[in-house]
Amino acid sequence: MSRLKKILLLAGALLLLLGVYLIDVVRLAVSLGQGTWLTVREAAVFFSFFFLFLYLQGMRGAKPLTVPKNLGKLLAYSLFVLVLIIIAANARPDWVPEGGTQNSGNALATLLFSLTAVALGLFSIMALLSIRDLVYYKRKKWTKRNFIAYVVCLLVASVAAMPVLRGDGQLFGPLLFAVAVVLIVVNSFKQNWVVYLSRREKMYSIVYASLLFLTLLGITLITSQSVLERALIAYHPPLQSFIRLNAIFGVIYFGMAFVSTLFHMPTAEVYERKQSELTSLHNLSRLVTQVFDFSDLVDSVTGMTLEVVGAKSAWLELIKGRNEQGEVLVEVVSLKNTTRQQIESIAVNGDLSLRQFVIDSKRPLVIDDISNDRRTKHIKKLDVAVGSLICVPLASHQELIGFLHATKEFQYGFDQDDIDVLTTFADHVTIAIENSKLIAKSLERERFQQEMMVAQQMQKRLLPQRIPSYPSLDVAAVSEPSLEVGGDYYDFMTLGSDRLGVVVGDVSGKGVSAAFYMAEVKGIFQALSRIAASPRDLLLRANQALADSLERNAFVSLLYAIFDSSKSCVTLARAGHCPMIHISGDSSSMVRPSGLGLGLTHEKIFEDSTEETTISLKIGDICIFYTDGLSETRNSEGEEFGYDRIVNVALHCRNNSAETIKNSILQEVRNYTGNSSYGDDMTLVVVKQL
Amino acid sequence: MADFRVHQRDGEGVSVIDLKGYLDAHTAPDLENAFQKLLNDKKFNIIVNCKDLTYISSAGLGVFMAFIEDVRKNLGDIKMSNMSPKVYNVFDLLGFPILYEIYKDEQEAVVRFRAQKKP
Repeated sequence: MSRLKKILLLAGALLLLLGVYLIDVVRLAVSLGQGTWLTVREAAVFFSFFFLFLYLQGMRGAKPLTVPKNLGKLLAYSLFVLVLIIIAANARPDWVPEGGTQNSGNALATLLFSLTAVALGLFSIMALLSIRDLVYYKRKKWTKRNFIAYVVCLLVASVAAMPVLRGDGQLFGPLLFAVAVVLIVVNSFKQNWVVYLSRREKMYSIVYASLLFLTLLGITLITSQSVLERALIAYHPPLQSFIRLNAIFGVIYFGMAFVSTLFHMPTAEVYERKQSELTSLHNLSRLVTQVFDFSDLVDSVTGMTLEVVGAKSAWLELIKGRNEQGEVLVEVVSLKNTTRQQIESIAVNGDLSLRQFVIDSKRPLVIDDISNDRRTKHIKKLDVAVGSLICVPLASHQELIGFLHATKEFQYGFDQDDIDVLTTFADHVTIAIENSKLIAKSLERERFQQEMMVAQQMQKRLLPQRIPSYPSLDVAAVSEPSLEVGGDYYDFMTLGSDRLGVVVGDVSGKGVSAAFYMAEVKGIFQALSRIAASPRDLLLRANQALADSLERNAFVSLLYAIFDSSKSCVTLARAGHCPMIHISGDSSSMVRPSGLGLGLTHEKIFEDSTEETTISLKIGDICIFYTDGLSETRNSEGEEFGYDRIVNVALHCRNNSAETIKNSILQEVRNYTGNSSYGDDMTLVVVKQL
Repeated sequence: MADFRVHQRDGEGVSVIDLKGYLDAHTAPDLENAFQKLLNDKKFNIIVNCKDLTYISSAGLGVFMAFIEDVRKNLGDIKMSNMSPKVYNVFDLLGFPILYEIYKDEQEAVVRFRAQKKP
């Protein structure tokens, strides 16, 4: 409703009422007779109240209903009205109008009774509107119909009270009155609003409803007292009827409301608990999306368990795995108001575990009376008061992931509502825990990927950036890392103008640890290659050097060869690595001096078993070094590439450059594996004697 | 990828671990657990039967190295048997036959254990 409209309605009503008052004052002196003036007056009263009704109706629509507040306002106004009518009822007898056409008394008396009538009328409308809001709360099919029936009856009864219509309405009036009272009683049963109040609001409502009942009773009784009744009838008969019926409605309705609220008082706690349960569940579902930290999450879960069912203590267990007997192993991830010892003494009784009942039934376990339950006979001598216990399974996709426990100090602490709520709660908890696990996993994967990237970069830098050039040697090399970082390694050592050292190896392990060992091996070889007298000597020194730093399960396999262009020969020693392929003319051989992998043993047996061999090289001879990543590469049928294929390719293009031979072998490997990616690193070094 | 399985059985003072399938970085922990359990149970005479082992990677070889020292310190041993030529080749390349006793047949290994125990 617009502001202007409100002002117009209020102004119109006030003007009309002022007009009525003026007419009444004039009537004190002059008889206006039965005619037009009285009709105008009655119409003016009617319209003024109609405007006031529209005005109040508009005011109400603006604000949402809060029951106790509205009742409080109504009560305040009713007290004011009560005071007013008590004053009016005790007016001097000669002030009281006699009724009929001729007004009696004086202008002041007229003002008092006019004000009383208007105040009562206004209050009647307010009360009616308040009651309507209450009746309409959670309305059903008949609610509105019943209420409108009453309003119609009220209006008819009021109109019937007009002197013009009264005539012989002595029977009609009481009949309407009776019907109205029946409808009042019917409508007074609509007290649904009471249920939805909180405990505090109910307290207020009880006080307000009882006081309203009393003040309205007072108003009803005083207005039906002869003095005031006469004054009201004199003012406006329909208004008097309207006020009387509404006052009765108010008395009955608020009387019923008082009783109803009183009866609903015990359920207030239940209602409030339901509300807090809902809030907690809502909070938890928010938590599901917000808490990434696992320990925060499980702490909130036990905290909320206490809150949701009002438990004394609560703890959350997650299943870690199963032992050999197939029993579940659990870990208490969060606990509130209890200790691990208590949990252990409650949950386990020798070979009988309370959890087993839950695992078997897949349903919550409730122990109503711990000291008298056969399943918990073992915890009689518990030093803390535990009367009842509940254990709810947490299940995700039919798989049990843990248990949520709660205890109360007294027996029969967990009713069906608690069980239902905790079961729902457990579902949310399960989702939250699964989520937090997934997040942790993806974080870990990210970390792992970053670690891999670092390792890959390290590995790349550890490989030689360029191939040394010797007039009599044609050298080509490649190392292709797999998706994960492997431990393949090769390097060149420039040992004067006519000697070239070549090392090809494989460090066990993957990722950062492999890259780390690789760096170590590179350092050792770069440092020792100038000191060591021979490849075998270098391997013995390297094995000693690695002794302290390699883990027990780690080792390095490698092959170290020194090409001597002045003597046209190659000397090599092998530490558990793939043999060297030597191609000379159209024949090939595997050069495989005996030797143990570095890091396998530090005893003398290493020295004893490591041999060294020297092969003289002719022009055009080819030496091929590789790692098992190349020879063991599999095709889609799972067959390995093998040495023979390497040899065949090399023989086939032996007249080409080392670079071409290297590329041909790689191409052959690719053709062999098809589209499948390499599982391991592949390293290939080709040296051709020129 | 073929699956990997570790099976442990006891007999006549000797514990036998049967390996099956692929032994690589992913499956190595299974074998580690089997060894660890035997060590916890103070069983130090161990035969690893490789009859159904189809592949072994460097991580797989590492498992043996991780435990051999402890086992030998307790006067036991890890012996291997029934290797396929391919698997033997991997062990051989690295020089394992120098450090470990590898037998064609499990029974030979058992006999060897008994012979060692007597004196």
